Amino acid sequence: MSSEKIAHEEIVRIKLNDTQMRENLMTAMHTLQKNRLKVIENKFEDWEGLRTKAKKAKNNALMSLKDRLLEFEKNAQKNGMKVHWASSDEDACELIYELMKQKKITKILKGKSMASEEIGLNHYLEKKGIKAIETDLGELILQLNGESPVHIVVPAIHRNRNEVGQIFKEKLGAKLESEPEKLNAIAREHLRAEFEELKLGLSGVNFAMSKEGAFWLIENEGNGRMCTTAPDIHIALCGIEKVMESFEDAATMVSLLTPSATGQFIPTYNNIITAPRKNGDLDGPKEVHIILFDHHRSDMLAHEDYYEALRCIRCGACMNFCPVYDQIGGHTYQTIYPGPIGEVISPNLFGIDQTGDILNFCSLCGRCSEVCPVKIPLAELIRKLRADKVGQRQNPPLGAEFMHKNKGESFVFKQFKNLATNGERWRFSLSKAHYFNYFIQNFKHSLPVIKKWSAFKELPQIKKDLYKEVQNIQGVVYE
Amino acid sequence: MKKIYFYATCLGTAAMQESIINAIKLLTREGIEVIFKKNQTCCAQPSFNSGYFKESKEIALYNVNLFEKDYPIVVPSGSCAGMMSHDYIELFKKDKELERVEKFSKRIIELSQYLDKVLNVNYEDKGEPIKVTWHSNCHALRVQKSIESSKNLIKRLKNVELIDLEYEEECCGFGGTFSVKEPEISNAMVKTKIKDIQNTGVKYLISGDGGCLLNIDGTMKKMGLDIKGVHLYDFLLKRIEGERL
Repeated sequence: MSSEKIAHEEIVRIKLNDTQMRENLMTAMHTLQKNRLKVIENKFEDWEGLRTKAKKAKNNALMSLKDRLLEFEKNAQKNGMKVHWASSDEDACELIYELMKQKKITKILKGKSMASEEIGLNHYLEKKGIKAIETDLGELILQLNGESPVHIVVPAIHRNRNEVGQIFKEKLGAKLESEPEKLNAIAREHLRAEFEELKLGLSGVNFAMSKEGAFWLIENEGNGRMCTTAPDIHIALCGIEKVMESFEDAATMVSLLTPSATGQFIPTYNNIITAPRKNGDLDGPKEVHIILFDHHRSDMLAHEDYYEALRCIRCGACMNFCPVYDQIGGHTYQTIYPGPIGEVISPNLFGIDQTGDILNFCSLCGRCSEVCPVKIPLAELIRKLRADKVGQRQNPPLGAEFMHKNKGESFVFKQFKNLATNGERWRFSLSKAHYFNYFIQNFKHSLPVIKKWSAFKELPQIKKDLYKEVQNIQGVVYE
Repeated sequence: MKKIYFYATCLGTAAMQESIINAIKLLTREGIEVIFKKNQTCCAQPSFNSGYFKESKEIALYNVNLFEKDYPIVVPSGSCAGMMSHDYIELFKKDKELERVEKFSKRIIELSQYLDKVLNVNYEDKGEPIKVTWHSNCHALRVQKSIESSKNLIKRLKNVELIDLEYEEECCGFGGTFSVKEPEISNAMVKTKIKDIQNTGVKYLISGDGGCLLNIDGTMKKMGLDIKGVHLYDFLLKRIEGERL
């Protein structure tokens, strides 16, 4: 987690004022939404059935995770891969660094991996004097521009093609272009040079299969395949929750993932990695290492509610459909995982004291839960985390003991409860509300709560005492 | 004669009395005996959504005790209905009161569902030909699932043409306490919603939920737009009584 966090209100203000970013995002998100709907409608007979099947498969794997992991380790080793274990983010970074030191490698090329963002790999290696180069087009754009991903699937979606052309011109000395094909060509030419003499490639893992001791990587650009086949050594970074039982289970997930993420029926590249290069193979790395890292996932798994978020397959559908994310973009969350899923996993992975403020970024509209392919009840979990934030639940996530409690708010809701469980007092207060209409309308700019509301909206005119009116309607029993 | 409890909602009691009265009239004109519990308060959604589960449970039990007879509880808001029919059960999932709460929750029905599905009302539209568009409340859409009934009622009015609102299923940014906690984001969301409403070219936005209307209509008024937000139950009663909007 970065230590230079910008204050919540401040970052919201900054991002809301970035009209170009908001326009880019809004257009992109609406396109992704439409693509998803179209592909589900045209290509799937039983999308809901598939969701149910996926939820079950993932839950099965999670409920037997220890066995799955050990089985994976055994079979992957049998296949000739090297399996490493890391409990923390730092451990995972260290493992990679040690491997590099051992092999005297000073350059690393990366396929797209949110896991590497989560453990802060680039930053860690940079401090050790090692350059980690991004090869995913979106990630490359961000790296050149010194930004973090705005989205977990389409990391540079907040930049339009004109902006990308400008970045390539400034950072790579390329000719100013704005056509996607020409921009691609610039990136390809730049990366080709990097791929030459490549010794070490790093990738994430979409799904690992314990029975087969293999793992599955999907991608659209082919750069991922370059990272996993061109170098001598391939390191795959894998959160422990990615391990599933069988190839068939993983296939169910893949068939949900791309439609949910971008509206594609299938990914452009499916890479199923089973072993390092064998005798007689023409290509492929000589060594394949897989790092299974925990980083508080075990804590989540032990939690009665939050374990559900470990089903996440990182498709980003929840953020594509989130009306808040749409307006503020991923950077406002100031954590690696933005959007609804980020609101659930970031407090669990990085501490609710560090990231709890992002729980405000939700109107609880419930659309994220509706579109999540693996049926994570995101809105409900966000609400439960809010209850953890105010200290009202038994089993709070990481960092709850350091949480700053809002005593004023808690007092207000206690008063609200006192009033709402006392009908006579409630009625007395509300029956007099219309007497205060004049006062409220005239002092709306200085009254707490109302001040915030009336900054942007007209207040309703309160003209009547409902209790008095209701009694005069024929056919109403007032009791 | 059919007897029902009517749940006025806190927002309806405090700020939208006219709509509540019209909602009740829609029931009495069908010959329903409407029981109005004078000690009714709030469904507890504000505290629930802010994470104050302890307080919310106390309020929920207060409601379970207050509406003691086995009549349906008709709620003119998908949001509050969803809270009481669905979220209460979630709230009491591991508690000994669950069975009582479930019994209560099963009696909750949103007013448009009651008019459409239970009473199957027949409306004579006395208004001039008019074009309107519709805003779906998120909780009504995804939790209470009452939007279909609300639209069915509008479709029974022969002089009313319902124009589709693009991105109808996107939240308007009210979200109860959300609009107070994150007023700037809420405002950005409602502005987007209003742009979509303007794109339909109609002069009336109908919605079945007071909160969304306070938000959308309040902002349109502040912007000085020539589009009016009308509560579904005001709209229905005025159409069948031939009153002007």
